[in-house]
Amino acid sequence: MVAARAALVRARWAESAASQSSCTTCGSWCAIIAHVTSLDAQTLGGRIRDARKRADLSQEDLGQSVGLDRTAINKIENGTRKVTALELSEIGAALGVRMFTFFEEPVPALVEHRSSQGLDTADSQIDALLARFADEVEFVAALGVDELGLDAASEVSRAAASHPSTNAEAEALALTARGLMGLSSQEPILQLSDSVGKIGLLAFSRDVGKDTADAGTILLRRGAVSLVNSHMKVGRRRLALAHEVGHYLISDAYTVDWRVAENPDHAVPMESRLDRFARALLLPEAAVKQQWQEDVDRLGERSTAIILASKFRVDMATLATRLRELALADSGTVAAVRDYRTTRADLVEMNLYVPLEELAGTTVPRLLALAVLRLVRDERISRERALDLLQGTFDELDLPSIRPRRPDEIWTFVS
Amino acid sequence: MTVPESALVFDTGPLRHFSNKGWLGVLRFVAGQRPVYIPDSVESELNEATEYVSATRAVLDAEWINRHRSTDLDYIEAFAHLENRLVVGRKNRGECGVLAMGQIYKCEVVLDDAEPRTIAAEKCIRVTATVPLLCEAIRTKQLTTVMVEALADDLLESKYYLPFGRGGFRSHVLENGLLDWDEL
Repeated sequence: MVAARAALVRARWAESAASQSSCTTCGSWCAIIAHVTSLDAQTLGGRIRDARKRADLSQEDLGQSVGLDRTAINKIENGTRKVTALELSEIGAALGVRMFTFFEEPVPALVEHRSSQGLDTADSQIDALLARFADEVEFVAALGVDELGLDAASEVSRAAASHPSTNAEAEALALTARGLMGLSSQEPILQLSDSVGKIGLLAFSRDVGKDTADAGTILLRRGAVSLVNSHMKVGRRRLALAHEVGHYLISDAYTVDWRVAENPDHAVPMESRLDRFARALLLPEAAVKQQWQEDVDRLGERSTAIILASKFRVDMATLATRLRELALADSGTVAAVRDYRTTRADLVEMNLYVPLEELAGTTVPRLLALAVLRLVRDERISRERALDLLQGTFDELDLPSIRPRRPDEIWTFVS
Repeated sequence: MTVPESALVFDTGPLRHFSNKGWLGVLRFVAGQRPVYIPDSVESELNEATEYVSATRAVLDAEWINRHRSTDLDYIEAFAHLENRLVVGRKNRGECGVLAMGQIYKCEVVLDDAEPRTIAAEKCIRVTATVPLLCEAIRTKQLTTVMVEALADDLLESKYYLPFGRGGFRSHVLENGLLDWDEL
């Protein structure tokens, strides 16, 4: 943790032209951060204007939200009227961004994406959420909390996976992914959202509605963040996240995916390869082949399909497609599998897992939650901010108890 | 506007508690010759507090408390990074302004909450609390122990955190060796 913090401070120090000496109070690097000045009023105004356009607000809308007239907002955006900290805090809140974002360059992937979109383009809901999650993970990472686990991203970089150009390469990439996540080539991935954390990919979920994307991913300076639309059922959510793992492994900087697993090979071959990768990741070829061939004669197709889908936690559509692409079933069987539904009777009689929810509603990655709890225990962020970072998945009583202060802490300053 | 390094910058909590119990003048007394400041973020919180406790108005009316309102980008950037650690909605904006002043102007800040004090330590901001200021005033014979005992009991009534219970000031400072018998 100390090393990570030191690296951050050194990086910022390198950017700073304002000071050439360490802190005079403690002799370390702490105060150097205070001298990092990054922009002027015009640049700040331009960033406010860009953020306003991304939020799809007019100058008048923004002015009404923060108690200023349109002319004042115009002057602020042109850099001819300065703002106070309180005004900028209000402006950030009205635009749905934290005010520090006006002073920091976003991650390169976001800069590139926004540039390709055009500066006047309003963010979609999923774009806005990805930007927010990226900011928040980078913020927590900058505090040097080991629990976040982004160091694991270096293993992914070393693996240097290339874009799969054939189905065989997609299958091989899935095996590579399993290896990186510390999984055997055949075991089920019970909690995919936890497993991806082991490769530096932090997976959030949020219900962003029916008529929007399934998932999206943005590369951070280390690691990446994915958002899965939890409007879908659990099988589709896991498949969408598995698809995002593919994008992450091949270092796609910014992706938003619609209708995962329905990408036609001729139209979007790379997305189709990543669909194949996603199925191969969740349903490893060797395990599926072995179990299907061993059980289908003994138990019948329906029972075998239900057991396989339950064991590997996929939906029937995904299993059906997998059976077809592995040439384990003919078209009639594939169609039948697609229509099978697991009943409560199946759960009892076959002694199956009760389907575990994953990425349901709003969730934050476990590793982020761990990191935030560490920051709360160390009293480095406020409890209110911690709850905000945890996006309502915790309430005040879920946080670690407030530490009773030792008497010496309050009296330290007397002597 | 430059703030002198000798300044004491108060957070909302101490000012609100002291004024609500009628002890605001004591803070002026213990500050002595040092200028006392509040950032506009604290002023804003105090304004909101007056809607519920009119006694808080005394802080806003006090001429010896200087307001700091800045459009300096160094200050705003410092505030912004602190805001990211402490603020949700409008809560805790006061202490961000206090810490930003300590960070930019190198003055001493008066804070009671744990998180901003941790951040102050990280950033080498000079930080104290109101009780240590009172204890120091006893040492330098500016205040009597009897007066501080009464004050401490009043503050405890208003849920102000002190490391002892009602009537416990004297025994606490003696047991912890914070003041000697001859200083009481």
